[in-house]
Amino acid sequence: MGKPLILVSSITYAMKGRDLLGRQGISAYLERVPKMERTGGCGYALHVPHHIEEAETILQQAGIRVLGRMDGEEA
Amino acid sequence: MIYLDNAATTFPKPMQVNQAVQLALQKYGANPGRSGHRMSMEAADEVFRCRSAITKLFHASGEECVVFTLNCTQSTNIVLKGLLKPGDHVVVSSMEHNAVMRPLQALVSRGVTYTQAQVYPGDNDATVHAFRNAINAKTRLIVCIHASNVWGIRLPVERIAALGHEYGIPIMVDAAQSAGVLPINLQDSGIDYLCLAGHKGLYGPMGTGVLITAKGEELDTLMEGGTGTNSASYDQPPSLPDRFESGTPNMPGIAGLRAGVEFVSRKGTEEIFRHESQLILYLYDCLSRMHGVTLYMPRPESRYFAPLLSFNVEGKNSETVGQMLSKNGIAVRAGLHCAPAAHQVCGTLETGAVRVCPSVFTRRAEIDYFIMTLGKIIRK
Repeated sequence: MGKPLILVSSITYAMKGRDLLGRQGISAYLERVPKMERTGGCGYALHVPHHIEEAETILQQAGIRVLGRMDGEEA
Repeated sequence: MIYLDNAATTFPKPMQVNQAVQLALQKYGANPGRSGHRMSMEAADEVFRCRSAITKLFHASGEECVVFTLNCTQSTNIVLKGLLKPGDHVVVSSMEHNAVMRPLQALVSRGVTYTQAQVYPGDNDATVHAFRNAINAKTRLIVCIHASNVWGIRLPVERIAALGHEYGIPIMVDAAQSAGVLPINLQDSGIDYLCLAGHKGLYGPMGTGVLITAKGEELDTLMEGGTGTNSASYDQPPSLPDRFESGTPNMPGIAGLRAGVEFVSRKGTEEIFRHESQLILYLYDCLSRMHGVTLYMPRPESRYFAPLLSFNVEGKNSETVGQMLSKNGIAVRAGLHCAPAAHQVCGTLETGAVRVCPSVFTRRAEIDYFIMTLGKIIRK
C-alpha cells in the first residue's frame, strides 16, 4: 500500500486517534479523505506510514470507530 | 471599576484568553473541520486542544464527549428537549435557573410533568430525602443545579446521582455557577449530563458553553445541519460531538475557552475556591454586623456554599441599591438573577436581592471598598 489511510467517523476521532497512536509510539497524520465515496461524502483519515495493523487495533480498542482503510495514492 | 458581577460573567479575563482569541482570528482564520488545507487543520487542532483541556479538567470519558454550545442554556435545552417525551416526569431542585425552568415549562405543554424537590441549606440528608420523595414511576430525569446562582447553596449532586441511578434515572447537572470553582469529576460523580457556561468560572469568552456526556447518542437533536463529515447523507451523524455541533463553530471563542480552562487547571479549582471563599466569608462577617442589611443564609461554610452572596438593604429596592453601587463604580447584579424559583424559596420574589460574586482576580481591598460604600448608601 503506497499511502495507507485509516478512515474514521469524524475529525474529533481522527485527532483523538492521532494523539493516542503518538503516545504508543506510532506516527499518524491527519488528512482529508481523498475519495468522497468512501466516507459518504466528506471525512477525515489518519495516514499511518508504519504499523498500520497495530494502529487499527489500538484505535478500535480505544472505542474509535474505524470505517475502513484505503490507499491514499490510488485516489 | 470594582467588578463583583462575576456570577454573570467573569471580568477581567486572564491575559492568555485575550491573546488566544486574537491569535485565533489572526492565525486560525479558516473553518475548522471543514477543509483539508493547513489553516483549516490548524483551526481544528485548536478546537481539539480545547476539548482535551476540558476532558482533563472534568475527567470526561473522552474528547468526543465534549460538545461545544453557545452557552449553558443551550446545553440544558439539548438534554431536556432531546430526552423527554410526553408522559415523562422530571424531578428538579427548588433552586433551578430559568435555563432549566423555561424549557421545562415549554415541555409541560407537550405532556411532560415535573416536581420541585426542596433544598435544605446545610442539611444534605434532608435535600436527598426530598429528591427521593419526588421520584415516581414515570420519572425519566433528575435535574439539579450544582450551586445556586442566587444563594450559593451547594447541592449534593453526587448523592442525588447515586439516588437516581438506584432507580435507573439519569441526572443532568447545571454547573454554570460552579465549573472552575468547585471540583467536578465525571468518573466518580455519577453525573450523566454536565452543562457548563464557558464565560464564568472557566474564564472563556461569552458565547461559549459546553455539554459533556457519554450518552449523547440517546438524545434527539435540537438542530441539524452541516458537520463537515458524511455530507452525502441528509441524516444527522449519530456520533458525538458532530451530532450536536451543526454549523460553523465559534472558533475564536473556543480558542479563548481553551486558554481559560488551562488557566483554571494551572491555578487549581481548590485554590480558586479557597481565595473566593475567604473573601465571601469576610464579606458575610462584615455585612452581618451592619445595621440595615438582610442576609438570607447562614454563614457560608465552604462545605455547603459556593463563593457568592446575596443580600438586601432594609427599605431599599435591590435594583436601587445596585444603581447606587454602580454610581460609585461598583458592579453587582440586582433583581431576580433569572432564577425566580430560588428567590421564591427565600421570599425575595417581590424584592429581588443584590448579588456579590468575586473572581480569582478580586482583592480584599475591593471588598473593603464595597463594604464602605454600602455603609454610606445605607446611611443615606
